[in-house]
Amino acid sequence: MASTSFSILGWVGGKRGLGGRKMNSISAQQTDVQQQSQVNIQQQEEEKEKVTVKQPQKQPPQTQPRQPMAKSKNMSVEYGGQWFSSVTRHVRIYAAYIDPVTHAFDQTQMDKLTLLLDPTNEFVWTSETCNKVYAYFQELVDHYEGAPLAEYTLRLIGSDIEHYIRKLLYDGEIKYNMNARTLNFSMGKPRVIFNNNDREVQDVQKD
Amino acid sequence: MQGRLSAWLVKRRLVHRSLGFDYQGIETLQIKPEDWHSIAVILYVYGYNYLRSQCAYDVAPGGLLASVYHLTRIQYGVDQPEEVCIKVFAPRRNPRTPSVFWIWKSADFQERESYDMLGISYDNHPRLKRILMPESWIGWPLRKDYIAPNFYEIQDAH
Repeated sequence: MASTSFSILGWVGGKRGLGGRKMNSISAQQTDVQQQSQVNIQQQEEEKEKVTVKQPQKQPPQTQPRQPMAKSKNMSVEYGGQWFSSVTRHVRIYAAYIDPVTHAFDQTQMDKLTLLLDPTNEFVWTSETCNKVYAYFQELVDHYEGAPLAEYTLRLIGSDIEHYIRKLLYDGEIKYNMNARTLNFSMGKPRVIFNNNDREVQDVQKD
Repeated sequence: MQGRLSAWLVKRRLVHRSLGFDYQGIETLQIKPEDWHSIAVILYVYGYNYLRSQCAYDVAPGGLLASVYHLTRIQYGVDQPEEVCIKVFAPRRNPRTPSVFWIWKSADFQERESYDMLGISYDNHPRLKRILMPESWIGWPLRKDYIAPNFYEIQDAH
């Protein structure tokens, strides 16, 4: 019905307002927005989840142009509480378009999922680790295609990403940001080596 | 061992099964789901005007789902009101039980909670939807075969 290409918008560490806080955002969306707007909401939801990916899995996410004219829509009282989201400390997923600069929250674009990665800046991110999380997000969205667009599905995706971030932390690929505003080590206290299965302990006598 | 209400029901040829008495000596009856609505009306007419409690539980793994009603007959000048406990067992495959909302209005939230936790579908309930869990939740949390999803919670924080 609509176009079947599935692209990702990701940007890392842009210098913006809000006290210079780093905000990583990703948006999985279909390119053909015009056609999307002509079908009703129900079809949009089905379509969004039935999107098939033509690009190979391991390819880094391709950048998608941002929409500078985007405005906050469907945020008024009569839509209050209606948006689909999964909000945990490091992963916020919204079924909407969120502009990275103006933070416009366009809820009419329900065919997009936007991921805000670690808004409280608890970890130190590099573009490489960010892209890993984005790729995993893409993989999960592909995995859950066909599932209804509901809070429960988003929660499953968000929780899997949180577990993935924990795995990255335990493997030593990301580390805690010691300059974070709240330093409470929400994924476990820092240790010297988290996953030390393949390393030898130095002070054990070996014969 | 037959209680007063059981004898009264037998006299009127109403199908039920006596489950004995609980620790307070309250008579416990089992009633089939298809008879429950008519018998509930009869019990209301008999004088049970107060639904004290409604709850539900999963009887056994792979077994039946039970919906329990505690009824009381409130009258003036009575210190020991008549009480009865009704259990309605519904099969796990298609758990349907008539709602008593239109007889005892206090069954409203109780039956919604039973629906939310165990998935018993109460026929003729006016707004049968989840009350504790989010509306998009999948699964019935208090069933014995329920497996909780691996959600990341703040409790995971050490």
